[in-house]
Amino acid sequence: MFTHIGSIALRVYLYYALWSALYANNGPQQSFSFKDIITYSVLALLVGLIYNVDGPYVVREKIREGNIAIDLMRPISVPLYVFADTVGQAGFALVQIAVALPIAIGLLALTGTHISAPASPLIALAFLVSVALGFLVNFFLDLLMATITFWTMEIFGFQLMVQFITSLLAGAVVPLQFFPSPVTAIAQASPFAAIYNAPLSIYLGKYQGPELLSTLALQAVWVVVFAVGALALWRVGERRVVVQGG
Amino acid sequence: MIISADRLTKQFRTLRRKEGPLGAIATLFSRDYEIKDAVRDVSFKLDAGELVGYIGPNGAGKSTTIKMLTGILVPTSGTCTVDGIVPWADRQANGRQIGVVFGQRTQLYWDLPLIESFQLLRAIYNVPAATYERNLREFTELLGLDEFIRTPVRQLSLGQRMRGDFAAAMMHEPKVVFLDEPTIGLDVVAKENIRQFIARVNRDRGTTFILTTHDLADIEKLCARIILIDHGRKLYDGSVETIKGRYGRNRTLTADLNCENCDDVRITVPGANVVSREGPRIVIEFDRDAVRADELVVKLAQHYELRDVTIAEPPLEAIIRDIYQHGLGDGSVAARDGLLVTADVETVS
Repeated sequence: MFTHIGSIALRVYLYYALWSALYANNGPQQSFSFKDIITYSVLALLVGLIYNVDGPYVVREKIREGNIAIDLMRPISVPLYVFADTVGQAGFALVQIAVALPIAIGLLALTGTHISAPASPLIALAFLVSVALGFLVNFFLDLLMATITFWTMEIFGFQLMVQFITSLLAGAVVPLQFFPSPVTAIAQASPFAAIYNAPLSIYLGKYQGPELLSTLALQAVWVVVFAVGALALWRVGERRVVVQGG
Repeated sequence: MIISADRLTKQFRTLRRKEGPLGAIATLFSRDYEIKDAVRDVSFKLDAGELVGYIGPNGAGKSTTIKMLTGILVPTSGTCTVDGIVPWADRQANGRQIGVVFGQRTQLYWDLPLIESFQLLRAIYNVPAATYERNLREFTELLGLDEFIRTPVRQLSLGQRMRGDFAAAMMHEPKVVFLDEPTIGLDVVAKENIRQFIARVNRDRGTTFILTTHDLADIEKLCARIILIDHGRKLYDGSVETIKGRYGRNRTLTADLNCENCDDVRITVPGANVVSREGPRIVIEFDRDAVRADELVVKLAQHYELRDVTIAEPPLEAIIRDIYQHGLGDGSVAARDGLLVTADVETVS
Protein backbone atom coordinates (compact mmCIF):
# COMPACT_ATOMS: atom_id res chain seq x y z
CA MET A 1 0.00 0.00 0.00
CA PHE A 2 2.79 2.45 0.88
CA THR A 3 4.73 1.73 -2.30
CA HIS A 4 1.47 2.26 -4.13
CA ILE A 5 1.04 5.71 -2.61
CA GLY A 6 4.68 6.46 -3.30
CA SER A 7 4.17 5.66 -6.96
CA ILE A 8 1.14 7.96 -7.04
CA ALA A 9 3.21 10.85 -5.68
CA LEU A 10 5.81 10.12 -8.33
CA ARG A 11 3.27 10.10 -11.12
CA VAL A 12 1.68 13.33 -9.88
CA TYR A 13 5.08 14.97 -10.13
CA LEU A 14 5.62 13.46 -13.58
CA TYR A 15 2.35 14.91 -14.88
CA TYR A 16 3.21 18.25 -13.32
CA ALA A 17 6.59 18.31 -15.06
CA LEU A 18 5.10 17.20 -18.36
CA TRP A 19 2.23 19.67 -18.48
CA SER A 20 4.24 22.62 -17.19
CA ALA A 21 6.81 22.03 -19.94
CA LEU A 22 4.10 21.73 -22.59
CA TYR A 23 2.14 24.72 -21.35
CA ALA A 24 5.26 26.89 -20.99
CA ASN A 25 5.94 26.51 -24.69
CA ASN A 26 2.44 26.41 -26.14
CA GLY A 27 0.19 28.25 -23.73
CA PRO A 28 -3.23 26.94 -22.65
CA GLN A 29 -4.82 24.26 -24.83
CA GLN A 30 -8.45 24.41 -25.86
CA SER A 31 -10.51 25.38 -22.86
CA PHE A 32 -8.10 23.82 -20.37
CA SER A 33 -6.11 26.20 -18.20
CA PHE A 34 -2.91 24.93 -16.59
CA LYS A 35 -4.80 24.53 -13.34
CA ASP A 36 -7.51 22.56 -15.18
CA ILE A 37 -5.08 20.14 -16.76
CA ILE A 38 -3.23 19.48 -13.51
CA THR A 39 -6.54 18.91 -11.74
CA TYR A 40 -7.62 16.61 -14.58
CA SER A 41 -4.43 14.54 -14.38
CA VAL A 42 -4.46 14.15 -10.62
CA LEU A 43 -8.15 13.18 -10.61
CA ALA A 44 -7.58 10.72 -13.47
CA LEU A 45 -4.85 9.07 -11.40
CA LEU A 46 -7.02 8.84 -8.30
CA VAL A 47 -10.16 7.67 -10.12
CA GLY A 48 -7.94 5.13 -11.88
CA LEU A 49 -7.16 3.65 -8.45
CA ILE A 50 -10.84 2.83 -8.04
CA TYR A 51 -11.27 1.52 -11.57
CA ASN A 52 -8.18 -0.59 -11.94
CA VAL A 53 -8.81 -3.08 -9.17
CA ASP A 54 -8.35 -6.77 -9.77
CA GLY A 55 -12.04 -7.72 -10.03
CA PRO A 56 -12.83 -9.46 -13.30
CA TYR A 57 -9.16 -10.11 -14.07
CA VAL A 58 -9.31 -12.75 -11.37
CA VAL A 59 -12.11 -14.47 -13.28
CA ARG A 60 -9.86 -14.75 -16.31
CA GLU A 61 -7.26 -16.61 -14.23
CA LYS A 62 -9.89 -18.77 -12.57
CA ILE A 63 -11.26 -19.89 -15.91
CA ARG A 64 -7.79 -20.51 -17.27
CA GLU A 65 -6.71 -22.59 -14.31
CA GLY A 66 -10.03 -24.31 -13.73
CA ASN A 67 -10.62 -22.86 -10.27
CA ILE A 68 -13.88 -21.42 -11.57
CA ALA A 69 -15.25 -24.86 -10.60
CA ILE A 70 -15.06 -23.83 -6.95
CA ASP A 71 -17.24 -20.77 -7.55
CA LEU A 72 -19.65 -22.67 -9.77
CA MET A 73 -20.37 -25.36 -7.19
CA ARG A 74 -21.56 -22.75 -4.71
CA PRO A 75 -25.07 -21.35 -4.48
CA ILE A 76 -24.01 -17.99 -5.81
CA SER A 77 -24.21 -15.92 -8.96
CA VAL A 78 -20.60 -15.66 -10.03
CA PRO A 79 -20.91 -12.21 -11.71
CA LEU A 80 -22.56 -10.86 -8.56
CA TYR A 81 -19.82 -12.41 -6.45
CA VAL A 82 -17.17 -10.81 -8.64
CA PHE A 83 -19.01 -7.49 -8.46
CA ALA A 84 -19.10 -7.60 -4.66
CA ASP A 85 -15.41 -8.44 -4.62
CA THR A 86 -14.65 -5.55 -6.97
CA VAL A 87 -16.68 -3.07 -4.94
CA GLY A 88 -14.85 -4.23 -1.83
CA GLN A 89 -11.51 -3.63 -3.51
CA ALA A 90 -12.70 -0.24 -4.75
CA GLY A 91 -13.58 0.58 -1.14
CA PHE A 92 -10.01 -0.15 -0.19
CA ALA A 93 -8.88 2.08 -3.07
CA LEU A 94 -10.90 4.90 -1.48
CA VAL A 95 -8.78 4.53 1.64
CA GLN A 96 -5.67 4.81 -0.49
CA ILE A 97 -7.08 7.92 -2.13
CA ALA A 98 -7.82 9.47 1.25
CA VAL A 99 -4.13 9.12 2.02
CA ALA A 100 -2.77 9.93 -1.43
CA LEU A 101 -4.85 13.04 -2.10
CA PRO A 102 -3.40 15.25 0.67
CA ILE A 103 0.08 14.10 -0.34
CA ALA A 104 -0.57 15.04 -3.97
CA ILE A 105 -2.02 18.42 -2.98
CA GLY A 106 0.88 19.11 -0.64
CA LEU A 107 3.42 18.14 -3.28
CA LEU A 108 1.85 20.42 -5.86
CA ALA A 109 1.56 23.25 -3.35
CA LEU A 110 5.37 23.14 -3.02
CA THR A 111 5.56 24.05 -6.69
CA GLY A 112 2.97 26.77 -6.25
CA THR A 113 0.29 24.84 -8.15
CA HIS A 114 -3.19 24.30 -6.78
CA ILE A 115 -5.96 21.93 -7.70
CA SER A 116 -9.39 23.36 -8.43
CA ALA A 117 -12.24 22.52 -6.12
CA PRO A 118 -15.58 21.67 -7.71
CA ALA A 119 -17.50 24.83 -8.64
CA SER A 120 -20.59 23.97 -6.61
CA PRO A 121 -21.96 21.22 -4.37
CA LEU A 122 -24.20 20.21 -7.27
CA ILE A 123 -21.17 19.74 -9.52
CA ALA A 124 -19.49 17.72 -6.77
CA LEU A 125 -22.56 15.50 -6.51
CA ALA A 126 -22.79 15.09 -10.30
CA PHE A 127 -19.09 14.16 -10.31
CA LEU A 128 -19.62 11.42 -7.71
CA VAL A 129 -22.60 10.01 -9.60
CA SER A 130 -20.58 10.11 -12.79
CA VAL A 131 -17.63 8.29 -11.20
CA ALA A 132 -20.02 5.60 -9.97
CA LEU A 133 -21.44 5.19 -13.49
CA GLY A 134 -17.93 5.16 -14.93
CA PHE A 135 -17.00 2.45 -12.42
CA LEU A 136 -19.93 0.33 -13.61
CA VAL A 137 -19.12 0.81 -17.30
CA ASN A 138 -15.52 -0.17 -16.58
CA PHE A 139 -16.56 -3.19 -14.50
CA PHE A 140 -18.94 -4.62 -17.07
CA LEU A 141 -16.46 -4.00 -19.87
CA ASP A 142 -13.84 -5.95 -17.89
CA LEU A 143 -16.36 -8.69 -17.08
CA LEU A 144 -17.31 -8.93 -20.74
CA MET A 145 -13.70 -9.48 -21.71
CA ALA A 146 -13.05 -11.95 -18.91
CA THR A 147 -16.11 -13.92 -20.01
CA ILE A 148 -14.64 -14.36 -23.47
CA THR A 149 -12.03 -16.58 -21.74
CA PHE A 150 -14.69 -19.32 -21.62
CA TRP A 151 -14.20 -19.63 -25.37
CA THR A 152 -10.61 -18.68 -25.94
CA MET A 153 -8.88 -19.65 -22.68
CA GLU A 154 -6.41 -16.89 -23.45
CA ILE A 155 -7.35 -13.26 -23.58
CA PHE A 156 -4.40 -11.37 -22.20
CA GLY A 157 -3.26 -9.89 -25.51
CA PHE A 158 -6.75 -8.77 -26.39
CA GLN A 159 -7.25 -7.34 -22.93
CA LEU A 160 -4.03 -5.39 -23.18
CA MET A 161 -5.15 -3.95 -26.49
CA VAL A 162 -8.52 -2.91 -25.08
CA GLN A 163 -6.70 -1.43 -22.10
CA PHE A 164 -4.59 0.80 -24.36
CA ILE A 165 -7.62 1.83 -26.39
CA THR A 166 -9.50 2.52 -23.19
CA SER A 167 -6.83 4.70 -21.67
CA LEU A 168 -6.56 6.68 -24.90
CA LEU A 169 -10.22 6.97 -25.88
CA ALA A 170 -11.44 7.24 -22.29
CA GLY A 171 -9.31 10.27 -21.62
CA ALA A 172 -7.32 8.64 -18.84
CA VAL A 173 -4.09 10.26 -20.02
CA VAL A 174 -5.04 13.23 -22.16
CA PRO A 175 -8.43 14.99 -22.11
CA LEU A 176 -10.43 14.00 -25.18
CA GLN A 177 -10.94 17.67 -25.94
CA PHE A 178 -7.25 17.85 -26.92
CA PHE A 179 -7.71 15.63 -29.99
CA PRO A 180 -8.57 17.04 -33.44
CA SER A 181 -12.30 17.73 -33.33
CA PRO A 182 -13.52 14.76 -35.43
CA VAL A 183 -11.53 12.40 -33.20
CA THR A 184 -12.90 14.15 -30.13
CA ALA A 185 -16.43 13.63 -31.37
CA ILE A 186 -15.87 9.93 -32.03
CA ALA A 187 -14.12 9.41 -28.72
CA GLN A 188 -16.81 11.21 -26.78
CA ALA A 189 -19.51 9.11 -28.39
CA SER A 190 -17.58 5.92 -27.59
CA PRO A 191 -18.37 4.03 -24.41
CA PHE A 192 -14.82 4.60 -23.21
CA ALA A 193 -15.46 8.32 -22.66
CA ALA A 194 -18.06 7.30 -20.10
CA ILE A 195 -15.25 5.90 -17.94
CA TYR A 196 -12.84 8.82 -17.43
CA ASN A 197 -13.66 11.79 -19.60
CA ALA A 198 -17.27 12.23 -18.47
CA PRO A 199 -16.69 12.46 -14.70
CA LEU A 200 -13.51 14.52 -15.03
CA SER A 201 -15.07 16.99 -17.44
CA ILE A 202 -18.06 17.32 -15.15
CA TYR A 203 -15.74 18.06 -12.22
CA LEU A 204 -14.04 20.82 -14.19
CA GLY A 205 -17.41 22.30 -15.10
CA LYS A 206 -17.03 21.62 -18.84
CA TYR A 207 -20.63 20.45 -19.00
CA GLN A 208 -23.51 22.57 -17.73
CA GLY A 209 -27.28 22.12 -17.44
CA PRO A 210 -28.76 19.91 -20.16
CA GLU A 211 -25.33 18.92 -21.42
CA LEU A 212 -24.44 17.63 -17.97
CA LEU A 213 -27.64 15.64 -17.78
CA SER A 214 -27.20 14.15 -21.22
CA THR A 215 -23.62 13.15 -20.34
CA LEU A 216 -24.85 11.30 -17.25
CA ALA A 217 -27.69 9.75 -19.27
CA LEU A 218 -25.26 8.51 -21.92
CA GLN A 219 -23.11 6.96 -19.19
CA ALA A 220 -26.18 5.20 -17.82
CA VAL A 221 -26.98 3.86 -21.29
CA TRP A 222 -23.48 2.41 -21.57
CA VAL A 223 -23.84 0.80 -18.15
CA VAL A 224 -27.01 -0.95 -19.30
CA VAL A 225 -25.54 -1.97 -22.66
CA PHE A 226 -22.42 -3.53 -21.14
CA ALA A 227 -24.27 -5.07 -18.21
CA VAL A 228 -26.78 -6.78 -20.47
CA GLY A 229 -24.03 -7.86 -22.87
CA ALA A 230 -21.69 -9.17 -20.18
CA LEU A 231 -24.39 -11.03 -18.25
CA ALA A 232 -25.91 -12.57 -21.38
CA LEU A 233 -22.50 -13.72 -22.54
CA TRP A 234 -21.78 -15.08 -19.07
CA ARG A 235 -24.94 -17.19 -19.12
CA VAL A 236 -23.92 -18.76 -22.39
CA GLY A 237 -20.30 -19.15 -21.28
CA GLU A 238 -21.23 -20.80 -18.00
CA ARG A 239 -23.09 -23.45 -20.00
CA ARG A 240 -20.12 -24.34 -22.14
CA VAL A 241 -17.52 -24.21 -19.43
CA VAL A 242 -14.63 -26.56 -19.83
CA VAL A 243 -12.86 -27.03 -16.56
CA GLN A 244 -9.13 -27.08 -16.98
CA GLY A 245 -6.80 -29.41 -15.13
CA GLY A 246 -8.88 -32.44 -14.20
CA MET B 1 -32.89 -42.53 -3.62
CA ILE B 2 -30.93 -39.30 -3.52
CA ILE B 3 -28.84 -39.41 -6.70
CA SER B 4 -29.88 -40.78 -10.02
CA ALA B 5 -27.76 -40.67 -13.17
CA ASP B 6 -29.40 -41.78 -16.38
CA ARG B 7 -27.20 -42.46 -19.42
CA LEU B 8 -24.95 -39.50 -18.63
CA THR B 9 -22.70 -38.67 -21.56
CA LYS B 10 -20.16 -35.89 -21.94
CA GLN B 11 -18.17 -35.28 -25.07
CA PHE B 12 -15.27 -32.88 -25.30
CA ARG B 13 -14.05 -31.31 -28.48
CA THR B 14 -10.32 -30.88 -28.32
CA LEU B 15 -8.06 -29.11 -30.71
CA ARG B 16 -5.54 -31.42 -32.32
CA ARG B 17 -2.39 -29.37 -32.17
CA LYS B 18 0.35 -29.70 -34.68
CA GLU B 19 3.80 -30.36 -33.33
CA GLY B 20 6.89 -28.23 -33.18
CA PRO B 21 7.43 -24.48 -33.26
CA LEU B 22 5.98 -24.15 -36.77
CA GLY B 23 3.10 -26.38 -35.76
CA ALA B 24 2.02 -23.85 -33.16
CA ILE B 25 1.66 -21.27 -35.92
CA ALA B 26 -0.03 -23.70 -38.29
CA THR B 27 -2.53 -24.48 -35.52
CA LEU B 28 -3.60 -20.84 -35.58
CA PHE B 29 -4.78 -21.14 -39.16
CA SER B 30 -6.05 -24.64 -39.69
CA ARG B 31 -8.05 -26.14 -36.89
CA ASP B 32 -8.58 -29.80 -36.54
CA TYR B 33 -10.87 -30.97 -33.79
CA GLU B 34 -11.34 -34.36 -32.31
CA ILE B 35 -14.33 -35.49 -30.29
CA LYS B 36 -13.65 -37.50 -27.16
CA ASP B 37 -16.19 -39.23 -24.97
CA ALA B 38 -15.16 -38.40 -21.44
CA VAL B 39 -18.24 -40.13 -20.03
CA ARG B 40 -20.45 -42.48 -22.02
CA ASP B 41 -23.90 -43.75 -20.99
CA VAL B 42 -23.20 -43.91 -17.29
CA SER B 43 -26.24 -44.73 -15.14
CA PHE B 44 -26.49 -45.41 -11.43
CA LYS B 45 -28.65 -44.74 -8.42
CA LEU B 46 -27.60 -43.91 -4.88
CA ASP B 47 -29.64 -44.11 -1.72
CA ALA B 48 -29.39 -41.46 0.96
CA GLY B 49 -26.66 -42.28 3.46
CA GLU B 50 -24.58 -44.41 1.11
CA LEU B 51 -20.82 -44.04 0.93
CA VAL B 52 -19.83 -45.06 -2.56
CA GLY B 53 -16.38 -45.32 -4.10
CA TYR B 54 -16.25 -44.03 -7.65
CA ILE B 55 -13.07 -45.40 -9.12
CA GLY B 56 -11.25 -45.75 -12.38
CA PRO B 57 -7.80 -45.06 -13.85
CA ASN B 58 -6.60 -41.56 -14.75
CA GLY B 59 -8.77 -40.05 -17.46
CA ALA B 60 -11.58 -42.57 -16.93
CA GLY B 61 -14.19 -39.85 -16.52
CA LYS B 62 -14.53 -39.71 -12.74
CA SER B 63 -14.03 -35.98 -12.34
CA THR B 64 -16.21 -35.25 -15.34
CA THR B 65 -19.07 -37.21 -13.77
CA ILE B 66 -18.62 -35.35 -10.50
CA LYS B 67 -18.66 -32.03 -12.33
CA MET B 68 -21.96 -32.92 -13.97
CA LEU B 69 -23.44 -33.94 -10.62
CA THR B 70 -22.31 -30.65 -9.09
CA GLY B 71 -23.78 -28.61 -11.94
CA ILE B 72 -20.46 -27.30 -13.20
CA LEU B 73 -20.63 -29.16 -16.52
CA VAL B 74 -23.67 -29.67 -18.73
CA PRO B 75 -23.82 -33.21 -20.14
CA THR B 76 -23.90 -33.74 -23.89
CA SER B 77 -26.80 -36.13 -23.38
CA GLY B 78 -28.47 -38.06 -20.59
CA THR B 79 -29.55 -36.59 -17.31
CA CYS B 80 -29.12 -36.81 -13.57
CA THR B 81 -30.79 -35.53 -10.44
CA VAL B 82 -29.45 -34.80 -6.98
CA ASP B 83 -32.28 -34.97 -4.47
CA GLY B 84 -34.74 -34.10 -7.23
CA ILE B 85 -32.77 -31.18 -8.65
CA VAL B 86 -31.19 -31.25 -12.09
CA PRO B 87 -27.81 -29.77 -11.15
CA TRP B 88 -26.97 -27.69 -14.24
CA ALA B 89 -30.55 -26.50 -14.70
CA ASP B 90 -30.66 -25.09 -11.19
CA ARG B 91 -27.03 -24.81 -10.24
CA GLN B 92 -27.55 -22.53 -7.27
CA ALA B 93 -30.31 -24.62 -5.65
CA ASN B 94 -28.10 -27.68 -6.11
CA GLY B 95 -25.16 -25.77 -4.65
CA ARG B 96 -26.99 -25.31 -1.36
CA GLN B 97 -27.44 -29.05 -0.79
CA ILE B 98 -24.03 -30.33 -1.84
CA GLY B 99 -20.51 -30.05 -0.53
CA VAL B 100 -17.38 -30.66 -2.55
CA VAL B 101 -13.78 -31.35 -1.64
CA PHE B 102 -11.26 -31.28 -4.48
CA GLY B 103 -7.93 -32.78 -3.44
CA GLN B 104 -6.20 -30.77 -6.14
CA ARG B 105 -7.82 -27.41 -5.48
CA THR B 106 -8.88 -25.56 -2.39
CA GLN B 107 -12.06 -23.65 -1.73
CA LEU B 108 -10.43 -21.77 1.14
CA TYR B 109 -9.35 -18.16 0.69
CA TRP B 110 -5.64 -18.19 0.13
CA ASP B 111 -4.67 -15.06 2.08
CA LEU B 112 -7.22 -15.28 4.87
CA PRO B 113 -6.95 -17.16 8.15
CA LEU B 114 -8.88 -20.43 8.06
CA ILE B 115 -11.53 -19.17 10.46
CA GLU B 116 -12.35 -16.25 8.14
CA SER B 117 -12.90 -18.64 5.23
CA PHE B 118 -15.43 -20.42 7.43
CA GLN B 119 -17.15 -17.14 8.25
CA LEU B 120 -17.36 -16.24 4.57
CA LEU B 121 -18.81 -19.64 3.73
CA ARG B 122 -21.28 -19.25 6.54
CA ALA B 123 -22.50 -16.04 4.88
CA ILE B 124 -22.50 -17.58 1.38
CA TYR B 125 -24.61 -20.56 2.49
CA ASN B 126 -26.72 -18.63 5.01
CA VAL B 127 -25.88 -21.05 7.80
CA PRO B 128 -27.80 -20.18 11.00
CA ALA B 129 -25.51 -18.95 13.77
CA ALA B 130 -26.30 -21.83 16.13
CA THR B 131 -25.67 -24.47 13.45
CA TYR B 132 -22.43 -22.78 12.49
CA GLU B 133 -21.18 -22.64 16.07
CA ARG B 134 -22.06 -26.27 16.70
CA ASN B 135 -20.41 -27.49 13.49
CA LEU B 136 -17.36 -25.35 14.03
CA ARG B 137 -16.90 -26.83 17.50
CA GLU B 138 -17.43 -30.38 16.32
CA PHE B 139 -15.18 -30.14 13.26
CA THR B 140 -12.48 -28.32 15.19
CA GLU B 141 -12.41 -31.20 17.62
CA LEU B 142 -12.66 -34.02 15.08
CA LEU B 143 -10.10 -32.58 12.68
CA GLY B 144 -7.85 -30.90 15.24
CA LEU B 145 -8.16 -27.47 13.62
CA ASP B 146 -7.30 -25.61 16.82
CA GLU B 147 -3.59 -25.28 16.23
CA PHE B 148 -3.89 -23.52 12.86
CA ILE B 149 -7.37 -22.02 12.65
CA ARG B 150 -5.95 -18.49 12.80
CA THR B 151 -3.18 -19.13 10.30
CA PRO B 152 -3.52 -17.83 6.73
CA VAL B 153 -4.35 -20.69 4.40
CA ARG B 154 -1.27 -20.17 2.22
CA GLN B 155 0.92 -21.03 5.21
CA LEU B 156 -0.81 -24.33 5.99
CA SER B 157 0.69 -27.71 5.19
CA LEU B 158 -1.21 -29.84 2.70
CA GLY B 159 -2.58 -32.03 5.49
CA GLN B 160 -3.78 -29.02 7.47
CA ARG B 161 -5.29 -27.42 4.39
CA MET B 162 -7.20 -30.58 3.51
CA ARG B 163 -8.61 -30.78 7.01
CA GLY B 164 -9.69 -27.17 6.62
CA ASP B 165 -11.24 -27.97 3.25
CA PHE B 166 -13.24 -30.83 4.75
CA ALA B 167 -14.63 -28.61 7.49
CA ALA B 168 -15.43 -25.95 4.88
CA ALA B 169 -17.32 -28.43 2.71
CA MET B 170 -19.46 -29.64 5.64
CA MET B 171 -20.20 -26.36 7.38
CA HIS B 172 -23.60 -25.93 5.71
CA GLU B 173 -24.59 -29.55 6.40
CA PRO B 174 -24.93 -30.71 2.81
CA LYS B 175 -27.01 -33.79 2.01
CA VAL B 176 -24.48 -35.03 -0.52
CA VAL B 177 -20.73 -34.57 -0.43
CA PHE B 178 -18.48 -35.19 -3.43
CA LEU B 179 -14.89 -36.03 -2.63
CA ASP B 180 -12.57 -35.80 -5.60
CA GLU B 181 -9.30 -37.47 -4.61
CA PRO B 182 -9.39 -36.04 -1.11
CA THR B 183 -6.43 -37.96 0.27
CA ILE B 184 -4.02 -37.28 -2.60
CA GLY B 185 -0.55 -36.44 -1.34
CA LEU B 186 -1.35 -36.91 2.33
CA ASP B 187 0.76 -38.87 4.79
CA VAL B 188 -0.64 -41.97 6.51
CA VAL B 189 -1.67 -40.18 9.69
CA ALA B 190 -3.49 -37.42 7.84
CA LYS B 191 -5.18 -40.00 5.59
CA GLU B 192 -6.39 -41.94 8.58
CA ASN B 193 -7.65 -38.77 10.24
CA ILE B 194 -9.62 -37.82 7.12
CA ARG B 195 -11.04 -41.32 6.70
CA GLN B 196 -12.27 -41.39 10.27
CA PHE B 197 -13.88 -38.01 9.77
CA ILE B 198 -15.71 -39.17 6.63
CA ALA B 199 -16.91 -42.36 8.33
CA ARG B 200 -18.06 -40.41 11.35
CA VAL B 201 -20.04 -37.80 9.41
CA ASN B 202 -21.57 -40.54 7.25
CA ARG B 203 -22.64 -42.51 10.31
CA ASP B 204 -23.78 -39.68 12.58
CA ARG B 205 -25.46 -37.42 10.04
CA GLY B 206 -26.45 -39.83 7.31
CA THR B 207 -24.62 -37.70 4.76
CA THR B 208 -24.27 -39.34 1.35
CA PHE B 209 -20.72 -39.48 0.02
CA ILE B 210 -19.30 -40.12 -3.41
CA LEU B 211 -15.58 -40.68 -3.19
CA THR B 212 -13.17 -40.80 -6.10
CA THR B 213 -9.68 -41.91 -5.23
CA HIS B 214 -6.66 -43.76 -6.47
CA ASP B 215 -5.85 -44.97 -3.00
CA LEU B 216 -7.87 -48.16 -2.74
CA ALA B 217 -7.17 -48.34 0.96
CA ASP B 218 -9.64 -45.42 1.18
CA ILE B 219 -12.23 -47.62 -0.50
CA GLU B 220 -11.49 -50.70 1.60
CA LYS B 221 -11.78 -48.75 4.81
CA LEU B 222 -14.83 -46.68 3.92
CA CYS B 223 -16.99 -48.02 1.12
CA ALA B 224 -19.29 -51.00 0.94
CA ARG B 225 -20.08 -50.27 -2.70
CA ILE B 226 -17.97 -49.25 -5.65
CA ILE B 227 -18.74 -48.01 -9.12
CA LEU B 228 -15.89 -48.72 -11.49
CA ILE B 229 -15.53 -46.82 -14.74
CA ASP B 230 -12.95 -46.85 -17.49
CA HIS B 231 -12.80 -44.99 -20.80
CA GLY B 232 -15.96 -43.23 -19.74
CA ARG B 233 -18.01 -46.40 -19.41
CA LYS B 234 -19.29 -48.10 -16.32
CA LEU B 235 -17.63 -51.48 -15.83
CA TYR B 236 -18.88 -52.54 -12.44
CA ASP B 237 -21.38 -51.38 -9.87
CA GLY B 238 -21.75 -53.44 -6.75
CA SER B 239 -20.31 -54.38 -3.41
CA VAL B 240 -16.62 -54.54 -2.67
CA GLU B 241 -17.14 -58.08 -1.33
CA THR B 242 -18.61 -59.29 -4.62
CA ILE B 243 -15.79 -57.94 -6.71
CA LYS B 244 -13.30 -59.53 -4.36
CA GLY B 245 -15.16 -62.83 -4.44
CA ARG B 246 -15.51 -62.88 -8.18
CA TYR B 247 -12.23 -61.43 -9.33
CA GLY B 248 -9.94 -62.17 -6.46
CA ARG B 249 -10.03 -65.96 -6.31
CA ASN B 250 -6.28 -66.31 -6.01
CA ARG B 251 -4.74 -66.74 -2.60
CA THR B 252 -1.13 -66.62 -1.57
CA LEU B 253 0.26 -68.92 1.05
CA THR B 254 3.48 -67.88 2.66
CA ALA B 255 5.28 -70.53 4.69
CA ASP B 256 8.53 -70.46 6.64
CA LEU B 257 9.98 -73.95 6.55
CA ASN B 258 12.38 -75.57 8.91
CA CYS B 259 14.72 -76.99 6.31
CA GLU B 260 18.44 -77.63 6.16
CA ASN B 261 18.77 -77.69 2.44
CA CYS B 262 16.04 -75.36 1.44
CA ASP B 263 16.96 -75.23 -2.25
CA ASP B 264 15.91 -78.83 -2.72
CA VAL B 265 12.34 -78.25 -1.60
CA ARG B 266 9.75 -79.63 -4.03
CA ILE B 267 6.03 -79.09 -3.74
CA THR B 268 3.57 -80.88 -5.99
CA VAL B 269 0.00 -79.78 -5.85
CA PRO B 270 -1.93 -79.32 -9.11
CA GLY B 271 -3.29 -75.79 -9.38
CA ALA B 272 -0.75 -74.32 -7.02
CA ASN B 273 2.39 -72.53 -8.11
CA VAL B 274 5.49 -71.61 -6.21
CA VAL B 275 5.99 -68.00 -7.03
CA SER B 276 9.03 -67.19 -4.94
CA ARG B 277 11.49 -68.74 -2.57
CA GLU B 278 14.03 -67.03 -0.50
CA GLY B 279 15.89 -69.12 2.02
CA PRO B 280 13.38 -70.89 4.21
CA ARG B 281 10.48 -68.71 2.97
CA ILE B 282 8.32 -70.10 0.22
CA VAL B 283 5.38 -68.33 -1.40
CA ILE B 284 2.74 -70.39 -3.15
CA GLU B 285 -0.17 -69.06 -5.13
CA PHE B 286 -3.30 -71.04 -5.72
CA ASP B 287 -6.81 -70.69 -7.03
CA ARG B 288 -9.21 -70.78 -4.12
CA ASP B 289 -11.77 -72.73 -6.14
CA ALA B 290 -9.34 -75.33 -7.51
CA VAL B 291 -7.19 -76.06 -4.50
CA ARG B 292 -8.22 -76.47 -0.91
CA ALA B 293 -6.02 -74.54 1.46
CA ASP B 294 -6.08 -77.29 4.10
CA GLU B 295 -4.85 -79.87 1.59
CA LEU B 296 -2.02 -77.59 0.64
CA VAL B 297 -0.98 -77.05 4.23
CA VAL B 298 -1.24 -80.77 5.01
CA LYS B 299 0.88 -81.63 2.02
CA LEU B 300 3.52 -79.16 3.09
CA ALA B 301 3.43 -80.38 6.66
CA GLN B 302 3.90 -83.99 5.56
CA HIS B 303 7.32 -83.18 4.21
CA TYR B 304 8.54 -80.21 6.17
CA GLU B 305 8.30 -78.76 9.56
CA LEU B 306 6.36 -75.48 9.36
CA ARG B 307 7.47 -72.58 11.49
CA ASP B 308 4.91 -70.10 10.22
CA VAL B 309 2.06 -70.09 7.72
CA THR B 310 -0.11 -67.22 6.47
CA ILE B 311 -2.77 -67.24 3.78
CA ALA B 312 -3.78 -63.91 2.27
CA GLU B 313 -6.38 -62.78 -0.21
CA PRO B 314 -5.14 -60.32 -2.80
CA PRO B 315 -5.54 -56.69 -1.79
CA LEU B 316 -8.31 -54.82 -3.59
CA GLU B 317 -5.57 -52.91 -5.29
CA ALA B 318 -4.26 -56.00 -7.09
CA ILE B 319 -7.76 -56.90 -8.26
CA ILE B 320 -8.53 -53.42 -9.53
CA ARG B 321 -5.16 -53.12 -11.21
CA ASP B 322 -5.88 -56.33 -13.03
CA ILE B 323 -9.27 -55.09 -14.16
CA TYR B 324 -7.74 -51.82 -15.41
CA GLN B 325 -5.21 -53.79 -17.43
CA HIS B 326 -7.20 -56.73 -18.67
CA GLY B 327 -10.82 -55.72 -18.38
CA LEU B 328 -13.42 -57.72 -16.51
CA GLY B 329 -13.23 -60.87 -18.65
CA ASP B 330 -12.43 -64.00 -16.69
CA GLY B 331 -11.89 -63.74 -12.99
CA SER B 332 -9.11 -66.29 -12.92
CA VAL B 333 -6.60 -63.87 -14.41
CA ALA B 334 -6.98 -61.63 -11.43
CA ALA B 335 -3.82 -60.98 -9.52
CA ARG B 336 -1.73 -62.84 -12.04
CA ASP B 337 0.05 -59.77 -13.00
CA GLY B 338 1.28 -58.72 -9.64
CA LEU B 339 2.21 -62.06 -8.26
CA LEU B 340 3.02 -64.68 -10.83
CA VAL B 341 5.31 -63.14 -13.35
CA THR B 342 8.35 -62.54 -11.23
CA ALA B 343 8.81 -66.06 -9.97
CA ASP B 344 10.80 -68.87 -11.43
CA VAL B 345 7.73 -71.02 -11.55
CA GLU B 346 8.32 -74.55 -10.52
CA THR B 347 5.77 -77.17 -11.30
CA VAL B 348 6.62 -80.71 -10.52
CA SER B 349 4.23 -83.46 -11.31
